[in-house]
Amino acid sequence: MKISSSTQNDVVLVTLEGDVDGKTAAQVQQEVLPLIPEGGKMLVDLTQVPYMSSAGLRTLLLIYRQAQGKGSKIALSGLSEDISDTMEATGFLDYFVVANDVASGLEALA
Amino acid sequence: MEPLTVPATLDDLEILADFVIQAARAAGLEKKPAYRLRLAVDEIATNIVTHGYQEMGLVGDITIYADMDEETLTITLEDNAVPYNPLEEAEVTEEDLHKPLEERKIGGLGIFLTLRGVDRFTYERMNNRNCNIFTMRRPSSGANP
Repeated sequence: MKISSSTQNDVVLVTLEGDVDGKTAAQVQQEVLPLIPEGGKMLVDLTQVPYMSSAGLRTLLLIYRQAQGKGSKIALSGLSEDISDTMEATGFLDYFVVANDVASGLEALA
Repeated sequence: MEPLTVPATLDDLEILADFVIQAARAAGLEKKPAYRLRLAVDEIATNIVTHGYQEMGLVGDITIYADMDEETLTITLEDNAVPYNPLEEAEVTEEDLHKPLEERKIGGLGIFLTLRGVDRFTYERMNNRNCNIFTMRRPSSGANP
């Protein structure tokens, strides 16, 4: 799992590359949670994430809660059809701003 | 396909995933059911590694089997960890799934996704081994979707 981050127009952009599963979810949690700003905005790009299990959903849940706690807005971009299907079935999709790609994700948070 | 035995560690789960992807392809499953089957097997295998072995201080293996007939593809996971029936895990209800994320419990989604993803899921305890059995209908069988 490769995780990189940058700041673009006041938005913390986090890019994940690889599967988010039982093996990698802890790493994602450890590295992404501290990147959530206070009263800011974060975009998590999943374009290069082909697979996400319930361990990944739990990580998204923690990211969402921390962001709520810090008064930050969170958006996700580049969800695959399969990940989108999993998130819809579990009721996660309704709680995230979702965009097709990074550019529209940044726009949605502007 | 020949059965495969891997050490029960999180690092080795991707070998099981590759096995399932290959079996799904051989059975002619469409992309979506293939992904859901892989997810189902991964959820249960992750539970076996973490709850069955690691939390109990045990070391062991998981064996995966693929069996195909004209109508179905069956994947079986076998392990000799402590008895663990995933179906006894507190099930996530429809009501839970509509709760705001602030009020969600952290567990239970794995078994929900498993049951949703396959046509049939069975757990058996045989000869001191846990058997988790996942069955998918093959598209050529012409059965109901």
